[in-house]
Amino acid sequence: MAEASPLRIETPAPDRVDLARLYGDSDIEKTLEEIDRELVGLEPVKTRIREVAALLLVERARRLIGLDTDPPSLHMSFTGNPGTGKTTVARRMAQILHRLGYVRRDHVVSVTRDDLVGQYIGHTAPKTKDVLKKAMGGVLFIDEAYYLYRPENERDYGQEAIEILLQVMEDHRDDLVVILAGYRDRMDTFFRSNPGMASRVAHHLDFPDYTADELCRIAELMADAMHYRFDAEACAALRDYVVRRMAQPRFANARSIRNALDRARLRQANRLFAARAAAPVDRHALQSISADDIRASRVFRQ
Amino acid sequence: MNKPMGRRITDLTQRFKSGVLPYRQMGYWDPDYAPKDSDILAVFRITPQDGVDPEEAAAAVAGESSTATWTVVWTDRLTDYPHYQAKAYRLDPVPGTPGQYFAYIAYDLDLFEEGSIANLTASIIGNVFGFKPLKALRLEDMRVPPHYLKTFQGPATGIVVERERLNCFGRPLLGATMKPKLGLSGRNYGRVVYEALKGGLDFTKDDENINSQPFMYWRDRFLYCMEGVNKAVAQTGEIKGHYLNVTAATMEDMYERAEFARDLGSVIIMIDLVIGYTAIQSMAKWARRNSLILHLHRAGHSTYTRQKSHGISFRVIAKWMRMAGVDHIHAGTVVGKLEGDPNVIRGIYDTCRETHVRQNLEHGIFFDQPWASLNKLMPVASGGIHAGQMHQLVSYLGEDVVLQFGGGTIGHPMGIEAGAAANRVALEAIIKARNEGQDIWHDGPQILANAAKTCTPLRAALDTWKDVTFDYASTDSVDFVPTATAAG
Amino acid sequence: MRITQGQFSFLPDLTDDEIRRQCAYAIDQGWAVAVEFTDDPHPRNTYWEMWGIPMFDLKDAAGVLLEVNACRKSHPDKYVKVVAFDSRKGFESIRMCFIVNRPKDEPGFDLARTELRGRNVGYAIRPYAAVRPAGQRYG
Repeated sequence: MAEASPLRIETPAPDRVDLARLYGDSDIEKTLEEIDRELVGLEPVKTRIREVAALLLVERARRLIGLDTDPPSLHMSFTGNPGTGKTTVARRMAQILHRLGYVRRDHVVSVTRDDLVGQYIGHTAPKTKDVLKKAMGGVLFIDEAYYLYRPENERDYGQEAIEILLQVMEDHRDDLVVILAGYRDRMDTFFRSNPGMASRVAHHLDFPDYTADELCRIAELMADAMHYRFDAEACAALRDYVVRRMAQPRFANARSIRNALDRARLRQANRLFAARAAAPVDRHALQSISADDIRASRVFRQ
Repeated sequence: MNKPMGRRITDLTQRFKSGVLPYRQMGYWDPDYAPKDSDILAVFRITPQDGVDPEEAAAAVAGESSTATWTVVWTDRLTDYPHYQAKAYRLDPVPGTPGQYFAYIAYDLDLFEEGSIANLTASIIGNVFGFKPLKALRLEDMRVPPHYLKTFQGPATGIVVERERLNCFGRPLLGATMKPKLGLSGRNYGRVVYEALKGGLDFTKDDENINSQPFMYWRDRFLYCMEGVNKAVAQTGEIKGHYLNVTAATMEDMYERAEFARDLGSVIIMIDLVIGYTAIQSMAKWARRNSLILHLHRAGHSTYTRQKSHGISFRVIAKWMRMAGVDHIHAGTVVGKLEGDPNVIRGIYDTCRETHVRQNLEHGIFFDQPWASLNKLMPVASGGIHAGQMHQLVSYLGEDVVLQFGGGTIGHPMGIEAGAAANRVALEAIIKARNEGQDIWHDGPQILANAAKTCTPLRAALDTWKDVTFDYASTDSVDFVPTATAAG
Repeated sequence: MRITQGQFSFLPDLTDDEIRRQCAYAIDQGWAVAVEFTDDPHPRNTYWEMWGIPMFDLKDAAGVLLEVNACRKSHPDKYVKVVAFDSRKGFESIRMCFIVNRPKDEPGFDLARTELRGRNVGYAIRPYAAVRPAGQRYG
């Protein structure tokens, strides 16, 4: 039942390290492939993840050989619009960190401001500490982290949570990795107003919006998983839909695609039901989403 | 070679005609019988005499442990006869032992008085063991249904509450039996108690034959022991106890001694198996009413538990004692001076401690036995064990056990207090290492040697007894090993 | 003297790392770990003060260490112990208990004897420190 001891060196230091072997032993190749498979597009993110993984691997090699350094700072920020895969990548990052031995376990505790900040005096510290204790040994993912900082309201307790986070991020680098996430510009403002936080975050990953083609691909993958199919006309309609929807407000990338798909399914179901007297439905009919099901969307009327 | 002697006679005129009938024709052998959930089941190891049909022998055991007699009687017809008959419903040959069989017998719930071990045993073992057609007979295991279990008190205190009262968690308890067994005066006896408890043990113990003799009357012993106990409590801040043996000639004497122990503030008293099942149940009731822990010494059991072919397996005794309501029972050490095969011992410990004992033929457990929330009974390992075996003891016996080191404490070269400290340090070191994930079975000796670096008494103990082992072939063992195909 | 309550009191005081390993064992078993403290070490004092409620749902022992050290910092001259609770049927009780902090000086217990009838003696055990009120007993 002994847990993996991340950075303990028990045998005398070798004078050379086989990076390929270290890479193979760590098994992170599998995780990186999963990321490639699960996430459509996001090339810059995937590249960055591989770069960070290489850095961590080489760090490990340096320690094995005896180049004693402070534990590297692993805290990260993920910026980008909603629905661009930040939470998914956070989970995979936890796995990578665990497999390379930087965190003892691979669990992710995902919170927002409300989980950390209290409603009255003395409420915040125990709340934040409880969250930290649960996350210890793994990764703490704070979504829309900038909401912690509300300088305009002097009775706001978010600052207290920030202080506690800063202290833990510095003193317990062996025990916990923190990932902050949110909109790019707001995170920039947050870091500018909190230089202490900025100095502790070593890695910044930006999650660009998906292109229309990538979103269509995502729609197809989602539909496929639910055993639906788009015929050629439907695909064209889908692309039209995506382009229009992207231009509209409150577009949440993959999440909006998911919602659109659900609405298309609803229309398909009603179409089939309305025509129930005509003929029994076959497998093909039940699986297909037609162009009409898509073009009925409000998006086309605006 | 004997011819099969016929099936059950169903024609009632034939069945109850005067004369002698084979038991199997009277209905005591019924392979089609499916035991009810409320039946009490027993499995016997039978060795029929040469020339006796095994099914007839099984039926005879069923008959003679329930309603039958050697000849047909008309008064049987005044009763609902089939209801009261025990039924032998299954017969398996014992693997690797020709001439021996396991006979499974079912008894209806109505045959027994609620909450009475005396009645249960009088019924099942009261009549049948001297039966001539059998060369040998052993009661191997019993299944007691919740319907019957719930009529018993069960352990007065139980493992969980005992630990809460002693405020001792996460490790086995430590004890020591007083040595020499006999002869010490009360005052000198109390000295040994004080030294051993002060040194680090949780309990000290009267031996089974210390009751009230010319060299030490019981009242003096109780007074001096409690002086030793209380002094040790004040020295250590821990709750300690001495098992005051209240065994006596009559129940009235036993109650008098137990009440005195209670009034002196003892946390625990002790009785011997030889007081009998009725007395044991009375004392268990008393112990629960007075919030004392009840320790049972299994005095005399080896006369009938030790031989594999004849007698009663100790696992059945342990089961009866858990039902009767004792809190501690000596159950074997595996590595000490007294009889005990590891697999058999494991089955006995499980019977004492588990809330639901699963059938496991490799441990000698023939039946699934849920315990219907009767408290858990603390097994006690006592007899020829020493600190150098601590890793083996913890590995074999687990955490919920009392480890008693009589000679291993009192015979320590640096004195009793040092002996106790050596045992306690050894135990804490092994438990700490086990929790950290170390392999205590293989690395135990090294862990103990490391702990001995900061504890001279432990060093001395390891050196004094390092070559002591008791390696004799067990007289009792299991019949089923993992590779054999166990018949169900 | 040295009060020997708890699982490891006969061994040298546990280091932070050793405490963490014991807590990790408890967490791996699915037990909830709690920290308690007191300045009344009488053996029948069952209820020590709680430093927060038991920590359910923890996956890693580092969180427990945080609380242990916070408690030790707040009450350096009291007895502090770590307790692990098992909620499973058949136990529903404490499974581990060990002391992680002691006052610098442990004066021990006074044993008072009262002579009663028939050579019986009544025993009263009292911590020497309890002569002073709670909060002023050690240090």
